[in-house]
Amino acid sequence: MGLRDDLERFREVGEKRREDLADFIQYGDLGQSRPGSVSVPVKIVSLPEFAYDQRDQGGVGQGDGDTPDVGQPIGQPQPQPGDDDGEEGDEPGEEGGEHEYYEMDPEEFAQELDEELGLDLEPKGKQVVEEKEGPFTDMTRSGPDSTLDFERMFKEGLKRKLAMDFDEDFLRELCKVEGISPREVFEWARGENLPVSMAWVEEAHADVADERGKWDSIEAVEENVSRETVQQKIRREGIKHVPFRREDERYRYPEIIEEKEKNVVVVNIRDVSGSMREKKRELVERTFTPLDWYLQGKYDNAEFVYIAHDAEAWEVDREEFFGIRSGGGTKISSAYDLAAELLEEYPWTDWNRYVFAAGDSENSSNDTSERVIPRMEEIPANLHAYVETQPSGNAINATHAEELEKHFGRDAEDVAVAYVNGEGDVTDAIYEILSTESEADE
Amino acid sequence: MSKTNSNADRFRKQAIAGELEEPVEEARNLAETLGLEPYPVKYWIIDYDEMNELIAYGGFQSRYPHWRWGMQYDKQQKQGQYGGGKAFEIVNNDNPAHAFLQESNTIADQKAVITHVEAHSDFFANNEWFGLFTRGQADDGAVNAAAMLERHAQSIDDYMSDPEIDRADVEKWIDHCLTLEDNIDQHQIYTRRLDIDGDVTDELDEDLAAKLDDLELSEEVKGEVFDEEWLEAVEGDDASIEFPAQPQKDILAFVREHGKQFDEEAGRAVEMEPWQRDILDMMRAESYYFAAQKMTKVMNEGWAAYHESRMMSDEGFAEDDEFVNYADHMARVLASPGLNPYSLGMELWEYVENKTNRREVLERLLRVEGVSWRNLTDVVDFEAVRERLEPPEALVRITPETLEDVVDLPSAYVDDEALEAARAGEIDVGRYPWKVLTYEGLARRHYSLVKRQHRGFLTRVSQNDLERIGRYLFDDARYESVEEALADVEYTAGWDRMFDIRESHNDVTFLDQFLTQEFITENDYFTYEHSRATGQFHVSSDEAEDVKKKLLLQFTNFGKPTIAVYDGNYNNANELLLGHQYNGVMLDLAQARETLKRVFELWGRPVNLLTIVKQVDEHDVEVAKRRNREPEADERGTCLRYDGTEVTVEDVPWEEVEHLAASDVDYDTKPDDWLA
Repeated sequence: MGLRDDLERFREVGEKRREDLADFIQYGDLGQSRPGSVSVPVKIVSLPEFAYDQRDQGGVGQGDGDTPDVGQPIGQPQPQPGDDDGEEGDEPGEEGGEHEYYEMDPEEFAQELDEELGLDLEPKGKQVVEEKEGPFTDMTRSGPDSTLDFERMFKEGLKRKLAMDFDEDFLRELCKVEGISPREVFEWARGENLPVSMAWVEEAHADVADERGKWDSIEAVEENVSRETVQQKIRREGIKHVPFRREDERYRYPEIIEEKEKNVVVVNIRDVSGSMREKKRELVERTFTPLDWYLQGKYDNAEFVYIAHDAEAWEVDREEFFGIRSGGGTKISSAYDLAAELLEEYPWTDWNRYVFAAGDSENSSNDTSERVIPRMEEIPANLHAYVETQPSGNAINATHAEELEKHFGRDAEDVAVAYVNGEGDVTDAIYEILSTESEADE
Repeated sequence: MSKTNSNADRFRKQAIAGELEEPVEEARNLAETLGLEPYPVKYWIIDYDEMNELIAYGGFQSRYPHWRWGMQYDKQQKQGQYGGGKAFEIVNNDNPAHAFLQESNTIADQKAVITHVEAHSDFFANNEWFGLFTRGQADDGAVNAAAMLERHAQSIDDYMSDPEIDRADVEKWIDHCLTLEDNIDQHQIYTRRLDIDGDVTDELDEDLAAKLDDLELSEEVKGEVFDEEWLEAVEGDDASIEFPAQPQKDILAFVREHGKQFDEEAGRAVEMEPWQRDILDMMRAESYYFAAQKMTKVMNEGWAAYHESRMMSDEGFAEDDEFVNYADHMARVLASPGLNPYSLGMELWEYVENKTNRREVLERLLRVEGVSWRNLTDVVDFEAVRERLEPPEALVRITPETLEDVVDLPSAYVDDEALEAARAGEIDVGRYPWKVLTYEGLARRHYSLVKRQHRGFLTRVSQNDLERIGRYLFDDARYESVEEALADVEYTAGWDRMFDIRESHNDVTFLDQFLTQEFITENDYFTYEHSRATGQFHVSSDEAEDVKKKLLLQFTNFGKPTIAVYDGNYNNANELLLGHQYNGVMLDLAQARETLKRVFELWGRPVNLLTIVKQVDEHDVEVAKRRNREPEADERGTCLRYDGTEVTVEDVPWEEVEHLAASDVDYDTKPDDWLA
């Protein structure tokens, strides 16, 4: 019970009621999302109630310094005092808007899309070496007290204790043998591998001087006095103390793990020339946006580069990217020139690279074969993709996509060509693009 | 509450609480001197997240588990994050009341909230509509709302944790109940169970056949003991009784007593589970608890705003350096667009105060020899009257230096004990001058008719009003002079009247009685209606009468259509028949269909709703469009029915709905030629 629970439940319910992901991508409102968070609308039917027909009910408004004339049309009715429900704020089920949004982070989005489309793109770790603190498993002889491995010290101490302890009572009895010298006791003990010192024997020997003669021989002692192993003794008496030694102290410190971080840079290229009308523009947005989310969710660190081009290319921000429209002609290679330049900042050794371009396949004559294709071959990348958006079918001179396909072949490992003629093609295109690389992985 | 109560957090809140101790105590003292009788209030300092949480949960810390709270919190948080919304006050109707102060508020905001809250708490404690919830309970006067909601939360949580019960089912059941949350009888004293005529034997009979089946008697034995005739006789008895005897507005209570649940698998109605009935009870109790707040929104908010203003500005509760902040706060609260309950309520309360005070003054004046309602405006110098009504200087400016002048004030104005204490220096008169005064003293000190913003009120009296007051006045030559008459003026008249009204009225009666032509015209209110010809809303009237009519429609019965149970054994098949008491405004049919589906879940058997709809012929619309007129709508009887699989809508003869149509109300404010 409580907020955490209810939030959790909201997410559960929200997930069940959220729009189907494929539908959302193809037809939904992508604009509600913010960077780092994908907002999928949740269909929450607000609780119905017996209510008046809004139109038949009419209402009361307040003029701004003057009463408007009778008959004058008014816009949306003003909020009415009965609209909210007193102190308790919105009562459950009276939410105003039609939709709530189910927030996904890009990781979840990528995972869901994998499931939905049956993708399994495994991001590659690149040679970006980062030192990361791992578990505290390495040892050193000095360090802060809090990292002292006490367990180890105790074990070492115990081992030492076991190794150093011996049956003192027995040796004392031995000293009572008639005419025995400390040296003889010591040598016997050494013969038995008892870790006793000569000094200890001499002291014991002196202590029992009065009782010397109790036994006739060492053999007599062995026969009559039971010996106890150290283990037995510890079991009987317990350990009074374990000798802790400085040399047993070990401090733990974290293992240094070398991690390959999964970095990705995505270059989005869009033709903004005059022929790219609203519908085409929209289809590009529909295709690119989920791709961006997906890759963002798959990689630890994702950078995006946006390039707009007509006959020339220039870098833009994401906000502008989908909105630009220029009047000029088209030269796709200009974008690849710029991409190559911008990608210098993201060396192939350290970065996964995706270069996505979209347009209506119109290009200046020979630009595709003479400039774009060589450029694409020059720019190392996990994947090059071209998305052709032609809502009205093919235009005769729009051959860029075709030429690419002819050159690289349909089964190319790192080049994908997809055709989007309407919203319904968007998920297929995304699948086509993303599966090209994952197939290549296998 | 969030569990981030680190020590630093606690100390910070304690520090704020320490700072507010004095304002809280003094606000209470001032409130009581002003005549308020609030429940004790417990104040809590909370942070931003906690405030969001409270808002999401309707102001209480423990509510039953439901994902909607989570959704509201999520929304609230996003709104705060991106919309910058700011909550000023939350106070719960409870005894003691609980009020929540957000730690990031300025001290001026906090003080404003505190004074506001004290007035709300007074309203909770004294308004009779709030009493309806408490009066029926054993411990009269105890609200125990937080405890009740907490108890509900616990029980529902227990049901949800029960492995036999699916959590989602419980949530769904709660939703079904909530669709009827406004379908209660809010004008009745709340009782946990409702006695409805024809109750006792009924449940037995409905199930008799089923129970006999359960006995698994062989057909032969059954034939011996319980023959069909006997069964019919027993069950038939009940069917002949009209049930309920009177239309029952508390649909929640009715389904609680007689409803069943529909068992998908068995394909028939079965008794509700104990948890389902229990939840119905709980949701109904919560509806009744919240009803009073919904019914008195304008009054209650106005009351709080009025007293907040008295205390904060008039009594200087906001210190000079805080006043700018406070004025800003007040402006924001009062200036939100549309019909804002704060400003509407506050203006109406001021109107009540002024009007009562004016009447008191006029009654005195009309008793002066030679003054009658016919000549009053000619023979009485209003300017002079107003000067007379001005409070004495010693009452207006009270400082430690002027205490000796206070002694000379009429004894009714002065709290002698406090004055002594003040003279001994035990009371900080500089900071709290009101402490040496009584209710009477404060009433004179803040007498409404002499305030700058109300100066014209006295002179604006219409000849009509004068006549109404003067005509029935006896003893009309009691005073020899205007001065003598004014010496008898009761300065507390306005406040006294306000206290009476806050006890007995709700928004509907309040607006009905005090929303005047003057008020509506001054505030540029107008009504609008939808035109079928243009498909748009248009301004339809600025007549006070029309505006009031429309406003009352929005406040009567929570602004919802009145629906009642007319028959619990409809079609002689235990179907439910609801009737919509048609007042000229039709139902939102799409919503009604959906609501019926929910009611079915609570009844278990088919449900029917009789209503009246307006229909317009397409051809008439076309003609009307061309002629810039509004097409004539045709009213027809309609029955909506849901049998568990589909909603059907059928026309019914007018005779069957005639009893539902009210003939004496008309909420339509369209003039005949409004689009011309």
